[in-house]
Amino acid sequence: MSELDTSVQLCIFDTSRGQSDGQELDKILFFYPSESPFSAQLSLIGLGEGIITFTKMFSPNAPCDIIDTEKRSHVFFQPEPDIWMILVIEKRKESGELGRTRALQAILMEAHGLFTLFYGSIRALLLNSPSGDVARSCLQAFLPDYISDVMTVKRLSMLSSHSGLQERGTIQMMALDRSTALEVQSVVDLLQSWFGSGRIHHTLLLFQDLLVSTTLPPEDAAHLYTYARMRLIPAAISTSSGGHSLKKVLSRANSSSVHLKASASDITAAGQRPSPADSSNHHSQFFTPRPLQHDKWWRDNDGFLVTDAWGVDAQGMSAITPTVWLQQSSQERMKLVAYQHKQLTVVMLISVMHLAPNADGSHVLRNQVLEKASNKLNALEDRLSKEWGGINANHVPGYRYLYVDYDSRVSKASPAGKIATLTKDSLLSLDKVRSEIDIAKGRCDGSGEAQPYELETCVRTRSNAWVVVRIRGNHELYLVLERASETLLLTAEATEKFSRRHCDGIFASD
Amino acid sequence: MRESDPSDKELNSENNDLQTENPGSQDVSFAYQQTFDAKQADDGPCSLPSHLSEKELDNNGSSTCDNGVNIESADAQREATGLTTFEFPVPEEGPQTYVKKVKSELEGASDGNQTEYNSDGIEEPDPGDTNANAEHRECSPRVANAQFNSQDKSDPKGNEILEQRDTVVNRSLTAFSSTCNIEPVESSIIRVQSAVENGNMEGHRPYADSEGKIASLSAVDGVAASSNGRESFEEIEVVDSGLVKNGGLLKRDLFLEKQHQSEDDSSESWRKHKKHFFILSHAGKPIYSRYGDEHKLAGFAATLQAIMSFVENGGDRINYVRSGDHQVVFLVKGPVYLVSISSTNEPLRVLRRQLDLLHGQLLLILTRSLEKCFVKNANFDLRPLLGGTENVFSSLIHSFSWNFASFLSSYTCLPLSHTARQAAGAALQDIADKNLLFALLLSDSKVISLVGAQKASLHPDDIFLLSNFVSSSESFRNTESFSPICLPKYNSMTFLYAYIRYLDPDICLILITKNSDAFFHLKDCRARIEGFLMETHVLRDISNSVARGGLRVEELPGGDVSYTSAPRSRRMGDTKDSTITVKLKAGVGGTAGLWHFIYRCVYLDQYVASEFSSPLETPQAKKRLFRAYQSLYASIHGAPTGAHQMQYRRDGNFVLLAWSTSDFEFLAAFDPLAEKSSSITVCNRVCQWVRDMENDLFFIGGSPFNW
Repeated sequence: MSELDTSVQLCIFDTSRGQSDGQELDKILFFYPSESPFSAQLSLIGLGEGIITFTKMFSPNAPCDIIDTEKRSHVFFQPEPDIWMILVIEKRKESGELGRTRALQAILMEAHGLFTLFYGSIRALLLNSPSGDVARSCLQAFLPDYISDVMTVKRLSMLSSHSGLQERGTIQMMALDRSTALEVQSVVDLLQSWFGSGRIHHTLLLFQDLLVSTTLPPEDAAHLYTYARMRLIPAAISTSSGGHSLKKVLSRANSSSVHLKASASDITAAGQRPSPADSSNHHSQFFTPRPLQHDKWWRDNDGFLVTDAWGVDAQGMSAITPTVWLQQSSQERMKLVAYQHKQLTVVMLISVMHLAPNADGSHVLRNQVLEKASNKLNALEDRLSKEWGGINANHVPGYRYLYVDYDSRVSKASPAGKIATLTKDSLLSLDKVRSEIDIAKGRCDGSGEAQPYELETCVRTRSNAWVVVRIRGNHELYLVLERASETLLLTAEATEKFSRRHCDGIFASD
Repeated sequence: MRESDPSDKELNSENNDLQTENPGSQDVSFAYQQTFDAKQADDGPCSLPSHLSEKELDNNGSSTCDNGVNIESADAQREATGLTTFEFPVPEEGPQTYVKKVKSELEGASDGNQTEYNSDGIEEPDPGDTNANAEHRECSPRVANAQFNSQDKSDPKGNEILEQRDTVVNRSLTAFSSTCNIEPVESSIIRVQSAVENGNMEGHRPYADSEGKIASLSAVDGVAASSNGRESFEEIEVVDSGLVKNGGLLKRDLFLEKQHQSEDDSSESWRKHKKHFFILSHAGKPIYSRYGDEHKLAGFAATLQAIMSFVENGGDRINYVRSGDHQVVFLVKGPVYLVSISSTNEPLRVLRRQLDLLHGQLLLILTRSLEKCFVKNANFDLRPLLGGTENVFSSLIHSFSWNFASFLSSYTCLPLSHTARQAAGAALQDIADKNLLFALLLSDSKVISLVGAQKASLHPDDIFLLSNFVSSSESFRNTESFSPICLPKYNSMTFLYAYIRYLDPDICLILITKNSDAFFHLKDCRARIEGFLMETHVLRDISNSVARGGLRVEELPGGDVSYTSAPRSRRMGDTKDSTITVKLKAGVGGTAGLWHFIYRCVYLDQYVASEFSSPLETPQAKKRLFRAYQSLYASIHGAPTGAHQMQYRRDGNFVLLAWSTSDFEFLAAFDPLAEKSSSITVCNRVCQWVRDMENDLFFIGGSPFNW
């Protein structure tokens, strides 16, 4: 532990715990890197708590967002009452620039969103297991995987200035023409029309990494979409093992899954249901699922995706079907079943409540899908892949853009490959402009103005690029134009043109 | 430390006493008045008396309003301060001695080493001890002369007056004696004392400043005011006996009269202030707080210190904390910590600069040698040394929301015809000698002309801080003063001496020298300059320009209006009428919806801004635009890859355009509905026009000040 890398630290703590002297460690629910000495952990939490208390004096409704020091940035996010996440990032001298506070908070928000998707809220876990062990083991099972995902070479990928034209936590939709949209609708209707133990409550259809359709409300959709993009889409599933059999799964499972000593009863108690008694029969050891573990999803021969990240059943014969918690819609627990055909991924959610206690509805569902829907799904994939414009489908020549609709959490942006062609100067300027706007916007939210926030900004950078921002209500458009000779007027015109064509004229001046 | 401070304070203390007594006994105040009137009659130009009398009058006149009384008295104090300032040509004591004093103070105060105090204390506070005065005077006859002579060359008269005063109010003696006091240690003690009193009085001034400059600081702490008199009186008592006891007593109830003085960090109203500023020592001792009583805020200051040192212990340094609307910005300047807590949404860059200026103002009063005090004694209490300067800080902070210089780091000039400005420059050049470092002719914060010794250039921030220091001190207005100051950007380590005299209510002459004995010489210089300006009618031109006001966007046509050749017929009074006409076309502003603009000439470090006119007449609108400019400017310059060239911003309030080139920077505000194309045309036209008028709008060619 001589050279502990502390360039990124993540800490989650509960201010309502460990109130008495000597009990401070009880506050800590998670700390990354976990090898950090307790003194360092306590010192960070001490600072965090101190500042939170301090800022509450002046800003009781919005305690600390960020502490900035010479060497580090501490970004705060309070996902649940009394529960705080602090992300500490060491500043690098060479770049000098840090990601926007909002963007960093979006990481924390996303981490928490995904966490609750799989485990329920931290508070619920704590209530069910006051010692905090379950919450800690869940966080421990989840967050290191997440962190490794958002980090690239010891650095949060987000800190690269390229993130200026991306918006974490939003959905990117695939553009469909009308008849395709109807076809999608009919498939979804078909899937959801089945009753019985395999009844599908919600669906989420993706083509590659683009969302085709979903029946989920925006927030849940965003979380599930994020997860699907991270682990379920064709590009993300494990390729190492074509036609994996469950046997292999099992052998792997035993060797590689984390065995965290949380008893089954704890987990399910947090979830709900079964009595502690009946679970103690089989497994003394229970998997705390690691939903984000890499290479844990395979495509089975029949097109269904399987994973052992949630462990295997009592007999060791089949993997346990993952479950998710929907936060926004029903606070319900759902089984997650995914079917994939070529580029098309269908995520289906079955309500646990409607299943017989020990029945795994997924078998029924599998059969139904294979029998009644696979043809339709295959045809749909065919049609979508014809309609798909390629990875540069969203490219608009001459523009690098990001358009976000925060109402539906949908965003549309230039393809990453095209964004990468921008100069660093432009991206840094964009980042700067965005962070200013974040602050101004935050202020506007706070003041609760009835009028929708409206803003138009055009900035000509030192290197002659134009950075344009248009905001109207919850719709935001960011543009970078690198045509050196443009004047303000021409830029404004170009923006107007773009808005008319690609944003339904939402930002039209009149 | 200004050496003069002690004396100021003492004078102040006199005033205080006066004040104190006033509420209680009208008779006394009358008596005062009489004395002063008499004095005035005798002395004519003697500024001190006149102030006092003013004060008295005010006291009497506004007996209903306690605040008024306080304010006035405070002013009087200020004036007194001014007086004392010049009185203190600081014969023997250079800055070093000052430091020594400080040190001695330190030791005395912090160590609780009362012996020193005692020994010193013996002499001054004794009420009614005229002898002490006499003695002191004997010690430093020259000093005494200087004081009174400056007002009126008759020493004896001054003395008489003083004595009279003394007899009326015993305490006032202290002040006087301190003025005469040469011995470092003694004076230091006196300073402490006076600081106490000053604190009381000064607190009120900002808010009630009769000049209306600080009008925006509207709230007046009535409660504190009402008790003011008594408080200060008590304090004096405390001082008398308190010196013997402990420095701690002195600190108690130091600045009771400040605005929102009754508040502290536990009161809701205190927390709701939009913008707090704190200065504290690295040991956590409060030095200054914009709102509330520093003493009561000791716990809060300790919290701030704890946060900063917590981070420092981790080998790091805290920059800022943001939480929702609020930003807490920290700045460490050696042993001095500066903190602002604001919900004004100003950019970080701007807030940091404001803290930096606040620190500069502190240095202007005390020099960087204050750091030595902390080296000697980490627990050193700086507040006594700043007694009476609260107003300087509050006026500075206020200027952060109206004076463009605060974020442009440039100064602005009074519009004046080229010939008139040249004549003014010539007048300043005329008195060149090797002892003179800078000569400035200011109209409020606007520069009329300035000259500097070879190789010495005056930084715009120094001009800003100096003009704030001078204009926030009433005392300078009515007397000629000689005050030790420090120009932090020029040399933050040493004291310089500023001869300050208002040639008329709008025109202030400041002559800065290294020589602490130069008062009389500079007095002569001033007479020459004044004479010259009078003869050449430059003074009249200046007054006309002041009355005329700055540029108005309504009057900026295609460039055919020449500022000098066709001076607008407006005077101060007219301007008011004109607003009526403007109101007829309210909301129109200039052509193409131009509401306001600022043009900054990069190589001259100067800017010119139009007057706020029709749609921007309310204080809120002005402040909103000011802040918008501020963040626009910060945005342009805050880019990591170099300043942006141009920025256009439209929101519900304005269209803002910023344009930055290597030669100039231009900021303009338009009606939010203004069209891009026409506003760009107007911007180009205005820039061209300003360039054409450069000679009248800017002070040009003075840069290599030679003599």
